[in-house]
Amino acid sequence: MLHGYGGHILRADLTSGQIRREKSDPQFMLDVIGGRGLNSTRLYQELKRDIDPLSPENMLLIGVGPLTGTLLPASAFMTLSGKSPMTGILGDSAAGGHFGAEIKQAGYDQIVMTGRSPNPCYLLIADDHVEIRDASHLWGLDIWQTTAAIRQDLNDNAIQIAAIGPAGENLVKYATVACNNSRMCGRTGMGCLFGSKHLKAVAVRGRGRLTVADPPGFLELCREMDQRIMVHPEYEKRNALGSTLLMKALNGIGILPTNHFQQGLCEYVDLVSGERLAEKYKVKNKSCYNCNLHCSRYYLTRELEAEGPEFETLCSFTSRIGNDDLEFGLKMNAFLNRMGLDSLSTGETIGWAMECVEKGLLTNDDFDGLDFTWGNCQTVEKLLDMIIRREGIGNVFAEGTRSLAQHFGKGTDEYAFHVKGLDMICGDPRGIKAFGLTYAIASRGGDHLRAEPFFELTERYDEAEKRWGIREIADRLADKGKAVLVEHTERQALLTDCLTMCKNIGLSMDVLDFDIASRLLKAGTGLKFSPENVDQALKGVIIKDRKMNIDFGITSADDTLPKRFTHEPLKEGASKGQVVPVDRMVKEYYEVKGWDKHGVPRD
Amino acid sequence: MITLELAKCSGCSRCEVHCSFFHSGKIGRSGARIKVVKIENIGIDFPVVCQQCQERYCTKCPEKAIEIGSLGQVIVSPTLCTACGTCEIMCPIGAIELYEEIPHVCDLCGGDPRCVKACTLDAIHYEPDVTERVSLKEYKKGSRNLNPEEKRLRYALASAQDLRDHWVAERRR
Repeated sequence: MLHGYGGHILRADLTSGQIRREKSDPQFMLDVIGGRGLNSTRLYQELKRDIDPLSPENMLLIGVGPLTGTLLPASAFMTLSGKSPMTGILGDSAAGGHFGAEIKQAGYDQIVMTGRSPNPCYLLIADDHVEIRDASHLWGLDIWQTTAAIRQDLNDNAIQIAAIGPAGENLVKYATVACNNSRMCGRTGMGCLFGSKHLKAVAVRGRGRLTVADPPGFLELCREMDQRIMVHPEYEKRNALGSTLLMKALNGIGILPTNHFQQGLCEYVDLVSGERLAEKYKVKNKSCYNCNLHCSRYYLTRELEAEGPEFETLCSFTSRIGNDDLEFGLKMNAFLNRMGLDSLSTGETIGWAMECVEKGLLTNDDFDGLDFTWGNCQTVEKLLDMIIRREGIGNVFAEGTRSLAQHFGKGTDEYAFHVKGLDMICGDPRGIKAFGLTYAIASRGGDHLRAEPFFELTERYDEAEKRWGIREIADRLADKGKAVLVEHTERQALLTDCLTMCKNIGLSMDVLDFDIASRLLKAGTGLKFSPENVDQALKGVIIKDRKMNIDFGITSADDTLPKRFTHEPLKEGASKGQVVPVDRMVKEYYEVKGWDKHGVPRD
Repeated sequence: MITLELAKCSGCSRCEVHCSFFHSGKIGRSGARIKVVKIENIGIDFPVVCQQCQERYCTKCPEKAIEIGSLGQVIVSPTLCTACGTCEIMCPIGAIELYEEIPHVCDLCGGDPRCVKACTLDAIHYEPDVTERVSLKEYKKGSRNLNPEEKRLRYALASAQDLRDHWVAERRR
């Protein structure tokens, strides 16, 4: 008997309506673990590479980790995967909340959706009962309304729902999928993929219970994980502020994106900081399933209330676009969550437009007369409406920054800050070199979560010496040894994703290592996991991802950063004078990986 | 009895997880005797658990399978119980519910409630000397045709009103 795992793979062909349940194969699971590893392997084996991401042939996967929904803390995530409508390469995005655990308790490890429904639909999973239901009455509703409506229809407040909003319906390329109203699968346009399949939502109710192979042993290991989190030196701060602590932290080291990465210092940071948010607006902590950090927050402003925001949204709608009005940022968080738009990609399109206007490359007339002065909140609100409805200039913005720059030309691509078509996150890589390398090589494009080499920010020099024999790894400004760090944390990040665990906890707080992970996996599932075969599984998945991306047309030329970060030194602050020597770092990374000089795996 | 400091609850469900695991060695909301009601659009997370109410509605068991223990906890006799569901229907707040033909209700884990231990926010307390303090009369009316999930939601909504008022006063004055 397979413990820990849900035990089944669910396949739904939305074109024909055919539904199939397969048993999860223990040997296969041992090779891929679960979550993102399971999803990537499925795509590698079954996805036709040369398809249009919006065609019915594209696959839409939901994968959940083998220990999610059990006693293991902070492992509540689920991962959506498919060929990204945003980038045309491997796409995936994860979110926490309570959806992942529910899928497991319903008895599934993965949901595989293909085809395109003739009419708007949603997939209802209630344990063994699975049906594709009409969603015509839900089409056009926002995410919060959709969630409420499905719960009301089914007369069950405890049903877990992952849904898209109007942005996903209208195929905005960076549309999101949300569960629990505010838990976003934000990146790579998985909401657009939902929309292309006429899939409004997936609703799950799991009335089953999960077993573990060695209950006392597993309980002991989970207590240790609980303890590692509780005694962490950053516990109090992370509990109070969540990721919004990064506003002041990044500003302190001079890498807080301000006016579209023109500066790494924001003079009004105290007005838009996580601390101010907590003091003026937060009313309580919120949490994902079975987490003891409780890092999310619920807030009330004078006009609205919502959960969040996380750092990336807060920064994207304050300093990154030159806005010092925190309440506006909070309003946008709620609005984007309702409509289903990725805050990072949306924020990048706005920042790009503002900088292009400032530099005189484009004028407001190019943008239907919208005034793209830094921090113009009215413009932002009008533009978002146009993006969601794909109206006027919003139709071009809805394609993402890379396409916008191609559309306008005139050298505006120099200010389109994306890697492989995915807009960069809020963290200026010039002052965090391993992160710079991560953005460049990440298999889904410009973001940090593929490796999150947080260790370089810790100044734990002796520990760096002990772990890798390279002291400079603990120095964020050094590039030496960072390829080694990133190669390591890339596996650690994937391990976290295979367990669909939280990266803030697993990786940034350095709570998950290969040893405890393999012991947890063994005690939880009963399969013969060891540090060695776990590592082998992870290396295998990283190679599959790379090979898939090569099939999608990625070459070593795409493993790079926008010019600003490699050629324009930061002008002030604690990272003054820094750029990322990305070519050298990528070359070293290939060498550490054992890939050839074109970044192609040898086996 | 188990008492709640609602303002502190983040909705993590650790109480559910550890309750279910302690009682069955398995993990799932259905196996838990404390269930967190999440009302996302108003930010409320509300663990519903037996209140050891003054009325003791569940003891109107036709098989006399339910008695009250020395800690004030509800004890279901597995030999007398026929899974008729009367207790589930009688409870006005959905704190007792049949799952796999067994009434699931808080038994205080013999005096060492695991939900209290599992909560890292100090939102759930165990007050051993307090029992039959709460009256659930006001929730009894109209509860008969509701399923346990609906009853829990109704109870949570009503009980959370004070906290909601407090938030509004604090943030919107």
